[in-house]
Amino acid sequence: MGYLLITQLLKGVTDTMKKRWKGLGVAVLTLTMLLQAACGNSGGGGQSAGSNAPEGAEQTENAGSGKKVKLKFWDFHSEKEEEFFKGLVDEYNKIQDNVVIEYSTFNQTDYTTTKLPTGFASGEGPDIYMISPGDFMKFAKSGLMADLTPYFPDGAKEDFLPASLDAVTVDGKILALPYELELLGLYYNEQMLKDAGVEVPKTWDELYAAAKKLTTDKVAGLILPPDKGPYFNFIWYPFLWQQGGNVLSEDGATSTFNTPETAKALDFWGRFFKEGISPTKLQQGPWEIDHLGKKTAAMQIVGTWAINRAEEVFGDVPINVAPLPIPEGGKAATDAGGWKFAVNGKSEHVDEAAKFVMWAFAEDPERALKWCTEIKFAYSPRASVVEKGKEIYSKGMRKVFTEQIYDSAIPEPRYPSEVLDVVGDAMQYVMFDKFDGAGAAAEVDAKINEAIKAANK
Amino acid sequence: MTPKRISARTRNEWVTAYAFLLPNTLGLLTFVFIPIVYAFYVSLHDWNALSPKVFAGFANYKELLHDSLWWDSVLKTLLFSVVYVPALYVLALGSALLLNVLRGRVVGPVRTMFLMPFAITSIISAIIGMYMLDPRNGVINHLLGFAGIGPQQFLGSTSQAMLSIIGVILWINIGYNMIIFLSAIKEIPRDYYEAAEIDGATGWKAFRHITFPLLRETSTFILIVTMIGSFQAFDQIVVMTKGGPASATEVSVLYIFKQGFELLNMGYASALAFVLFLIIFSVSIFQLKLLSKRN
Repeated sequence: MGYLLITQLLKGVTDTMKKRWKGLGVAVLTLTMLLQAACGNSGGGGQSAGSNAPEGAEQTENAGSGKKVKLKFWDFHSEKEEEFFKGLVDEYNKIQDNVVIEYSTFNQTDYTTTKLPTGFASGEGPDIYMISPGDFMKFAKSGLMADLTPYFPDGAKEDFLPASLDAVTVDGKILALPYELELLGLYYNEQMLKDAGVEVPKTWDELYAAAKKLTTDKVAGLILPPDKGPYFNFIWYPFLWQQGGNVLSEDGATSTFNTPETAKALDFWGRFFKEGISPTKLQQGPWEIDHLGKKTAAMQIVGTWAINRAEEVFGDVPINVAPLPIPEGGKAATDAGGWKFAVNGKSEHVDEAAKFVMWAFAEDPERALKWCTEIKFAYSPRASVVEKGKEIYSKGMRKVFTEQIYDSAIPEPRYPSEVLDVVGDAMQYVMFDKFDGAGAAAEVDAKINEAIKAANK
Repeated sequence: MTPKRISARTRNEWVTAYAFLLPNTLGLLTFVFIPIVYAFYVSLHDWNALSPKVFAGFANYKELLHDSLWWDSVLKTLLFSVVYVPALYVLALGSALLLNVLRGRVVGPVRTMFLMPFAITSIISAIIGMYMLDPRNGVINHLLGFAGIGPQQFLGSTSQAMLSIIGVILWINIGYNMIIFLSAIKEIPRDYYEAAEIDGATGWKAFRHITFPLLRETSTFILIVTMIGSFQAFDQIVVMTKGGPASATEVSVLYIFKQGFELLNMGYASALAFVLFLIIFSVSIFQLKLLSKRN
């Protein structure tokens, strides 16, 4: 509930207003939020589950060991994942004498929408933070991502999947450290498919026919994300890529959206919603495997992260996974998402921060392996880590990902948020019958070019 | 009493009065007036919150004049108001009248039932509303099923989402407004009704000639506060639809939030916020004038 902060603000502001003046509340609230963005996080926004964020990176006196550099590390993970990063920080603080890292974690929605922008705007942002492809370019262009290239330990760069480093390289500089690859697959309830006499779908036509057959009053045939946002686009891209289409030209400068491939991918997507096979409204996040776990859906496109929960919480439900179905004559493609570690390029202590980041995920493969296999299930972008965890990567559903899906992975594109937004519009146009695929592709094409221009301003 | 003593006393009263006003004034300055001025300043810049601000004059304001999505969102806000305000008024007054006739033990539970959605945090109420409106497993579709009506999409449909949201927000707020009406009704002296009864005016006539006219001030208050509140609808909408599906419920505040915090167009979002502020300000002044004229 990332908007709780706003709600609280709304309540706080309106409470102080009396009767008729209450009306100004909304405008004032918005203005207050914008002021917050300008004046930093003094308003107590966000829900810090870790320690309180310190006031800027500064030198601090440490009894006995001279001066230590204080670094701020802001994160958004929770529960088990938060414990992992907290543990990393504690360990690092113990094994060296130069820096003290202070770890704070925030609600994920606040993290990207308000916490990081307000922090950086006020010059009190973190030294170390996490970045997703959707926000990548904006932060990179604002100088908020330091060049990490010189900090890679010897031979470490070669250990990384080249595509994973390409996805974080701008002008020959590696601006972030990838530490997980999350791939998409088609999860399904084996029993439901068997009862309906349906084979595991391998093509688009089979997927459509199966989903339609599996849809009942109580069970959705296929869960796809219905609401706009980065995740919405993330799930759709493979359908475009499978036919060789793409949103932007390779250099990212112009739109390549108005093509028959886009139209086909959009029409395919829209059909599930228009025919009531995929719900237009979900009570739980479309990224939660709970739809299958609670038997309210027969199939769902979701990522590697779902495996642990499917096994641990819904062990009694016969959930399995298969590669994403492809169109006639198409080739397999899936999305490889995942967060990346970044160092604030405006920090006074880029050196120290970069060293920590490298220590965490580019040195000893044990730490990376623990993250990708014990804490959650994801692929490591490092060959040595995947090799080391070979046994785990061939266990149960993981085997399907390793043997049938991994090779078709394409890193999630780092489009500017303006582009994400209009691509999302095109997807909604077909879902709610405003345009057909070709119409939506044509309608949005010019807007994408405008969005690129706006983003490059 | 000498003039000097009066002024000393007056001064003391003044000091006391200002001392009491001080916290509120400081709060208003800090959280209301300074942000308004600052937002105006930001609105004259091109700023993504991450890089330094670049002065842009009135470019943001020029842009918003041609931003059809913005004016769509204003239109949606108005539509919301036009449906929500009269509906709330009629339903709150109606339920207050009904509750007023009820006698005995049943009054307490019924009143609690009406007030409950308001007593719970509005976010929680919105979530409950969302579950009730679930197309597959929601209770509303279940009930419609008894009446032979097929399952509706509600929040998942571009044509029904706004009405569904209005329904949930009504459900949340009726109780509070009903209590205000009820207390106003209870304050009307019984004598009036007794006198009217002797003259043969009961039921609808009594309501039309006694209750309704005497509720005028309460009515005006509720209409104004509700109208203004309708411009504020934000949190429940965010919880229920986030402005979707296909922007069907993207009211102005949501659009501003999207521009500011999802697209990081802080300068532009500030310009939009400032225009919305002017709109609400004008409406408030207009209503205040209307109210004082009536009085």
